[in-house]
Amino acid sequence: MNKSNIMLICASPRHKGTSAMLLERVQVVTGGKIFFLPQRGSLDELVLAMQKAGTIIISGPCYINTYPARLIELLELASIKGNFSGQKLYGIINGGMPYIHTHQHGLICLKLFAEQNHLSWQGGFVLGIGAMLDGKPLEKHMNRKRIVPAFDKFIRNIVEGVQSPNSLYEEAQPPPGKLTTRIFTKFLTFLVVNNLKKYGHDPEAPNYYLRKQEEDKINGSH
Amino acid sequence: MILIISDDNRGNWGPTLEEAMHLSETEIVRFSADALQIKPCAACNSCSGKTFGRCIIQDDMQLLLPKIAVCRSLVLVSPVVFGSVSHHIKKVMDRMAALGDPRYRVKDGEIVKGMSRVGMNYYMVGIGDNLNEAECSAFLHLHQENRKIMSVKGQTFILDSRLNRVSLNNIVQEIIHE
Ligand SMILES: Cc1cc2nc3c(=O)[nH]c(=O)nc-3n(C[C@H](O)[C@H](O)[C@H](O)COP(=O)(O)O)c2cc1C
Repeated sequence: MNKSNIMLICASPRHKGTSAMLLERVQVVTGGKIFFLPQRGSLDELVLAMQKAGTIIISGPCYINTYPARLIELLELASIKGNFSGQKLYGIINGGMPYIHTHQHGLICLKLFAEQNHLSWQGGFVLGIGAMLDGKPLEKHMNRKRIVPAFDKFIRNIVEGVQSPNSLYEEAQPPPGKLTTRIFTKFLTFLVVNNLKKYGHDPEAPNYYLRKQEEDKINGSH
Repeated sequence: MILIISDDNRGNWGPTLEEAMHLSETEIVRFSADALQIKPCAACNSCSGKTFGRCIIQDDMQLLLPKIAVCRSLVLVSPVVFGSVSHHIKKVMDRMAALGDPRYRVKDGEIVKGMSRVGMNYYMVGIGDNLNEAECSAFLHLHQENRKIMSVKGQTFILDSRLNRVSLNNIVQEIIHE
């Protein structure tokens, strides 16, 4: 691995979130520069940097079961511009849910992008319960005993320039059992409901856009 | 109301589907996402906190959110891009978080969420020529996961751009008769 040739892309709009934290953990070992995906404006410069890189590592959050729109925009543009020559591509995706299957589409998408554009897909890492970390170190993860060594092995795979198997993150994150699922659901709901109440909202109330249309109708008929 | 949101950047699939549905008795409303100015979700969390249920980004998504909030069926039409939807459609999906119920629940032994209004049907039509097995299964997998996490009913369809009338009509029948 040529350290000067490493490009790390953070696909989250949150620069201090979990995607960024994971990327910084990689960067400490691999070196290279972190690029935060700009949320507006041209992505041309980023594609140019991707074409020049030897190894690209993309870390992003899971939005509705895959990477956010802006990363897909980058991949679409990179595909139009082309000019890739076997760059190694690794992916990291983290989501709030404690499952792998809910986030895994992100890595499948990157693999297909690599295959269709002359990059070399090297595997990735799916992290569940990433929202609770909220950018805090991996050592604070609920499942740290398994996650930390697995993620650090993933980093070693990048350094060695080898394929990282799915089994690495799969074995580290067995799905929670029935009781944990129930406790987790209650706890997470308690947190969101409390947050809503703090702002004076009723979680049972119909959605704002529904209410607004009803109100407009009533006002219009008067 | 059946709401079609399409990416017509590389074809004319949205208008074609709308036209094929014209005999339906339900009202059909259609938007081309690629012709709208929609910014990416900023993950500001306002819609699940301070401005519960309302997205604070002022752009064309404010035209779509009231329609999505009331529609009987939402139909997203997109080219299949690396087994996913295009970025135009993905922007709409990400910003739809404002219409989600932020509370968690258990379904089939797993934690899921739901939409603030129960009962919306959610369809996805993927367009692509000579898609391979991996691309198709990734697209189907994405929509299946979406349906699970949003606790909605619906179906995924994949169409060839050389548009076979029969398959188009089948899709129309499925959607309008739901
Ligand atoms: C628009 C939006 C959609 C999301 N969709 C999902 C989802 O489908 N599944 C999930 O587990 N988490 C979902 N999340 C939660 C994020 O994946 C989670 O908070 C993640 O840790 C954020 O990473 P970051 O700190 O790097 O931004 C979503 C968050 C947002 C803002």
